[in-house]
Amino acid sequence: MRTTNEINQSPLDIIRQNKEVERRVNFIKAIFLDIFFVFYSVLVVQRAIYYKFILDLRDIPFSWEGILLVFIISVVISVCWTFTRTSISCKLFGVAKNNKVTKWTVEIFGWFLFNITFIAGWIITKLSIVDLFSSEGLQGAERLFGALFRPEFGIFDDALFAMIETIYIALLATLISIPITLLLSFFTARNLMKSSKFTFAVYYVLRLVLNFIRSIEPLIWAIIFSVWVGIGPFAGMIALLVHTIASNAKLYSEAIEGIEQGPVEAITATGANKVQVVWYAVVPQIVLPFLSFTIYRWDINVRMATIIGLVGGGGIGTMLMQYQGLARWHEVGLIVLMIALVVWVMDYVSAKIREAIY
Amino acid sequence: MILKVNNLHKIYKNGTHALKGINFEVEKGEFLVIIGLSGSGKSTLLRCINRLIEPTAGTVEFLGENVTHVTGEELRKVKTQIGMVFQHFNLINRHSVLKNVISGKLGQLKTLNSIFGNFSEEIYDEAYRSLEIVGIREKADERADSLSGGQQQRVAIARSLMQSPKLLLADEPVASLDPATSNSVMQFFEKVNKEFGTTVICNLHFLSLVRRYATRVIALKAGEIIYEGQPKEINEEWFKTIYGDEAEEVEIR
Ligand SMILES: Nc1ncnc2c1ncn2[C@@H]1O[C@H](COP(=O)(O)OP(=O)(O)OP(=O)(O)O)[C@@H](O)[C@H]1O
Ligand SMILES: [Mg+2]
Repeated sequence: MRTTNEINQSPLDIIRQNKEVERRVNFIKAIFLDIFFVFYSVLVVQRAIYYKFILDLRDIPFSWEGILLVFIISVVISVCWTFTRTSISCKLFGVAKNNKVTKWTVEIFGWFLFNITFIAGWIITKLSIVDLFSSEGLQGAERLFGALFRPEFGIFDDALFAMIETIYIALLATLISIPITLLLSFFTARNLMKSSKFTFAVYYVLRLVLNFIRSIEPLIWAIIFSVWVGIGPFAGMIALLVHTIASNAKLYSEAIEGIEQGPVEAITATGANKVQVVWYAVVPQIVLPFLSFTIYRWDINVRMATIIGLVGGGGIGTMLMQYQGLARWHEVGLIVLMIALVVWVMDYVSAKIREAIY
Repeated sequence: MILKVNNLHKIYKNGTHALKGINFEVEKGEFLVIIGLSGSGKSTLLRCINRLIEPTAGTVEFLGENVTHVTGEELRKVKTQIGMVFQHFNLINRHSVLKNVISGKLGQLKTLNSIFGNFSEEIYDEAYRSLEIVGIREKADERADSLSGGQQQRVAIARSLMQSPKLLLADEPVASLDPATSNSVMQFFEKVNKEFGTTVICNLHFLSLVRRYATRVIALKAGEIIYEGQPKEINEEWFKTIYGDEAEEVEIR
């Protein structure tokens, strides 16, 4: 609620104040971003390029005091830089001076950042053309591929059952996710939740939690749950379920945020309450996208269920892992072949269904 | 007096000063038309009246009550008494015409009933009657998006009639229709205005329509009222002030 004081202010004053506040906020953001940029470049240049590449040290000296020193130096440099209003972050946040110096610093520093990042990446991944084409390596690869292309059909029955298990794990995870995701998606759609402070707080917390869950890969969830409920298909299913809910809630709520506002406005204007507006103006617009996302997710889940099997989530993945451990490459060949086939079929079927819906 | 707008200002979050001190009053039964260039603030004004947006300063009095900053239940109560029709109809495409019309009644229905589609006989009767008023009862069971633009706008009018509104707002209701259809849709507004005594405030672009339907005209320019009076008093000179020197009147009939 606005105070009367604020209402009595002249409108032009309000505009001016808003602009001023925005400029200050942007300037503060620019300071932080500049600190990050400078700190990052000093670290990369010192550790990756100087220690590792130029001096070629085996054990790179490390101490938190050293890092702290670098950080403090970076802070001092970057703050000075930001205050000249010619830094790259000032430009990004639109508070830079509009002159030649800004133009040059932005270009040179941008180019510099890009290059050191690329070089550091090269050094860290130990990129080596020699390893890729060494004769030993090539022989090993040849043996392996040879075996894979002559699959052993003796384990076909077992593999088939494991495959069915995988498909059902994926299906169940998808089905159970639907009602939960539906409910969550309304509470994580910005346009529905921004109206009051309380709902916005709910929105914010839910988003945070879901982002956190989503940022943990299903593979890791599977490891967690296989400790929690024991190795097997159940652990795999829960892992997939958790991740499906978190990622689909995001997709669903984005669909809700992208609906046409017209009908929402029209229903709101009739004096309908929040629930009625959602049911009459939002839901009809999102039924089809929701269905389509869910089917697509089933397809993704079949693939993920395979991977999850590798760490004990049950199904074909677990079987693959067992034969791989025994180095029985002909059996592995069959399993890989079946996985490829099922994934391809699922991909095709889900695409067809989604086409038919629209 | 049904509506009184007092020194109304609206400043959007991005700093746009869309309304700069608007003052006017509307008597019961009037057909008030608001004209002005695109961006002059016509839509903003209507939205401030039925509080789809909240004014930054000034007051809106509806039926003698200050509704400028009411919230919650009270705000919904105000909205149920003000109908609104939009340029792009804003129907629910996937719903039937009948269901669209009934949705105009939502403000007066229980939440659970409306979700389960539990409507009383009277509501159905009322919906059919509203459709009859705009002359498309036979389309009741068709999907809203299968109708032509003119028909969709009539459905939108029927939807707002379900509110038995004291005041009907129309934001460029015929701007996306052809001239002939525009005229027929405008006739329904006239009918509602004359037969039920509903006060109408309507944004329009075409002066020929204004002359034909308005009982009074307000012209906005850059968020300020620059003309207020009878439609027939708008002459060449006023026209140039409202729409700029290069403008020329386009006739539609
Ligand atoms: N949601 C919004 N946020 C920021 N600015 C807005 C918003 N809506 C409208 N404006 C701005 O407010 C001013 C008035 O807009 P408004 O839509 O009221 O004009 P209008 O007279 O209805 O124009 P038109 O004939 O194009 O519908 C315009 O400058 C517009 O850009
Ligand atoms: Mg408008």
